[in-house]
Amino acid sequence: MKFQIEKDVFQDALNQVQHVVSTRTTLPILSNVFIEADELGLQLSTTDLDVTITKRISAKVSSIGKTTLPARRLASIVRELPTSEIDFEVNEDNAATVKSGPSFFKILGLPADEFPVIGEFGEAKEFTIDQRLLKDALRKTSYAISTDETRYVLNGVNCLIGEGMLTLVATDGRRLAMVEQDLEFPAGNETAVIIPTKAVNELQRLLGDSGELKISLTNSQAGFALNESNLITKLIEGNYPNFRQVIPGAANHRVTIEREVFLNAVKRVSLLANEKTNSIKFAFDDNRLAISANSPDIGEAEESIDVRYDGPRIVVAFNPEFVMAPLRNLDQDEIFIDLIDESSPGVIKIDEPFLYVIMPMRVAN
Amino acid sequence: MQFSPESESQEPSEKQNLKTLWRSISSDLRAELGDSTFELFLPNFTLTQLEDSVAVIQVPGSGYALWAETNFKESILLTLQKYIPSCEGFRFDITVEEPAPAVKETKLQKKKNKAAKLKERILTEKISDEKLLERGRAAGLVELFTFENFVPGQNSDLAWAASQAVANEPGKTYQPLFFHSACGLGKTHLLHGIGWASLRKRPRSRVLFVTAEQFSNEYIDAIQNNALVAFRKKYREADLLLIDDVQFFGRKEGLQQEFFHTFNRLSDLGRQIVLASDCPAGEIRALEDRLVSRFQWGLSAEIHRPELETSAAILRRKRDDWNMLVSDELINAIVERVQGNVRILEGALIRVAMVKTMTDEEVDPSRLDEILSDIIGGSVSSGLVGLEEIKQAVAEHFDIELNVLNGKRRTKRVAEARHIAMFLIREMTDLSLMDVAASFGKDHGTVIHAVKKVKAECSTSNSTKGTVELIRRRLVRGGSSLESQRARQSSPRKSGGESLDSTRYREKYSG
Repeated sequence: MKFQIEKDVFQDALNQVQHVVSTRTTLPILSNVFIEADELGLQLSTTDLDVTITKRISAKVSSIGKTTLPARRLASIVRELPTSEIDFEVNEDNAATVKSGPSFFKILGLPADEFPVIGEFGEAKEFTIDQRLLKDALRKTSYAISTDETRYVLNGVNCLIGEGMLTLVATDGRRLAMVEQDLEFPAGNETAVIIPTKAVNELQRLLGDSGELKISLTNSQAGFALNESNLITKLIEGNYPNFRQVIPGAANHRVTIEREVFLNAVKRVSLLANEKTNSIKFAFDDNRLAISANSPDIGEAEESIDVRYDGPRIVVAFNPEFVMAPLRNLDQDEIFIDLIDESSPGVIKIDEPFLYVIMPMRVAN
Repeated sequence: MQFSPESESQEPSEKQNLKTLWRSISSDLRAELGDSTFELFLPNFTLTQLEDSVAVIQVPGSGYALWAETNFKESILLTLQKYIPSCEGFRFDITVEEPAPAVKETKLQKKKNKAAKLKERILTEKISDEKLLERGRAAGLVELFTFENFVPGQNSDLAWAASQAVANEPGKTYQPLFFHSACGLGKTHLLHGIGWASLRKRPRSRVLFVTAEQFSNEYIDAIQNNALVAFRKKYREADLLLIDDVQFFGRKEGLQQEFFHTFNRLSDLGRQIVLASDCPAGEIRALEDRLVSRFQWGLSAEIHRPELETSAAILRRKRDDWNMLVSDELINAIVERVQGNVRILEGALIRVAMVKTMTDEEVDPSRLDEILSDIIGGSVSSGLVGLEEIKQAVAEHFDIELNVLNGKRRTKRVAEARHIAMFLIREMTDLSLMDVAASFGKDHGTVIHAVKKVKAECSTSNSTKGTVELIRRRLVRGGSSLESQRARQSSPRKSGGESLDSTRYREKYSG
């Protein structure tokens, strides 16, 4: 196998695929990137047996073939190479020689036929969606994914397709983020799947701001095809909890807040959040919001900001991290917080189909 | 009340027991968690079984189970233990999934409608004249420029009608309203006028007048001070946004981006935007297409040069405002000689009035040529035309800005105008090729080419010939090229009235 390739193209492609490679693995071949050269260019693949990413790039191929090479190491070598054109040659023993100007590297790889083949999946339901829409929806939900591995169904984003909509939900039982997007799809394609965290992270890396992507879903696998890349992931099997049961209905009070101002204030006050309860207090009053923290051994902090609110005084305590997470990932200037009373969950909304339910902390007065 | 697991004598009574037990437990939980939380997270839970020391609680859905377990595990366990001391834990048994309760948005919707009506009422609340003046000044409006002071005429009838429509019903008619005209024809006046009229109608609405340059400076300040939110708040919450000199946005990409979002936000909210520019939107240099298309979206109204009657009406109005003793005949004589923008007309009027007060005698219309000589331009007395006059006349004819003519743009129309200007300058002045070329920032080869080209076209195309002749005639008659005055003066703001200190007059009146 022999080919010549532009450094930037190769480097970008390796960066996109190398995150899948696990650092600790029992199978050495899983730390490698599979490279196949054909008449049209190169195909790169990495997998951890759950998530597989494949990417096609163009290269001047002078003799075809395939091999696998250590992914991380190859990526760091390519990053440092001095010239924009790189010459690659791999012999029958899977030893690759890399030439770039005065630099010369020899990298030992593993045979390509040991690389696990990802099964093509048959009957799949297919959808087409804007990359930007999906990227935006994942960004607005993925931070709420649970990291508690004992509840494995929550270790991903629940993706529901039905009623003319794509609904994405993530929750850990203390907070819940949900986005709805209009989506056109053929009748009978209604489905619900749970996409695991790792696939969500990789997908966010691959998605761009324009163009479309094709999603294929079966009961156990999902495929995402975009920009010459292909991501295939196993799905989390199990039933996602019925999240709609816990979304509060009509709220009694609505507070309008400037997002950036709010985020910065919470960030400052949270520096002195109570370490035991990890909570800070939000006191909503006539067009004011006072945010305060009190740590008995350390000290206290308070900051008040202007908001639009004309209801009665409500004091409620939240985990500051849970408040900041959606604020960081939204881009609207203004957000709304719907409140019922001091012990009920608050709901953060914007003027788009998004909501974020957050449980208050119960504080002893 | 105590429950002992050993007393399993009769099944129905055990069920009964569990039921009463759960009633006590749930009322304790309700008290602890609060009604709304209890209803939301623990509705219709029932205690169904006791397996050894584990209580089985039936819940109506997986969502309830997740949230109850995550958030209220401790409370539930403690309460269970209070009634069942032997209880060491509990688990949820999920029965049929209950459909989620429908979210009631209607109430919120109603509230919204009510709020909109309330807002309209607040906006139209009357305030005192002084307060109005104060609010107008704070919005950046100048008191001098009101609709009452504006003299409409044929030259501005579209712009005038649109202004009134917009002031009456901001955001409902033309979105945006875009004025363009050469300088000094009343764009700014109309912008301020809309501001005042709209403010009078809805005194509490947020009106904002800025020049594009102010907008730009504030944007830069905001970036520097990390105060973008405040900046956006100011502009994106305006009910009526008036921006003057938007041609300034040209070639400023970051600014265009910011303004694009401001524009979208305001137009989504149904707020009114009025813009003024010295050229049509499509001709603003390096303005993003998406902004151009938005500018052209609503109504684009051009203000032309006032015709004689309108010019005279404007000057009469000015005379009355300033209490000048200038007769109507004299005004007619002024407008006949001085054509051009309103600033120049006013300058001429001021000068005539001043001469009259200083000499304390009637000014004879025949002396006007002498008094206004430098305003009218050298052409009247000498018959000779200068380079700037020719450029100005050509620019006027093709309705392009002088700086465009002098600039680098090479669209067909601009290039044609530039060629004709070069040709006429060569024909009508004694300037050398080098001089002509330098004045356009080009080299002499370009001028030679231009002259040749126009000559050739004159012989083949009647329209080119007609154009050249028309401009030439206008120049010889001396009825044009008034803006050249401004171009020649060092400060563009100086109007004719202030340049009275020419030595000629000083000598004449010092004695």
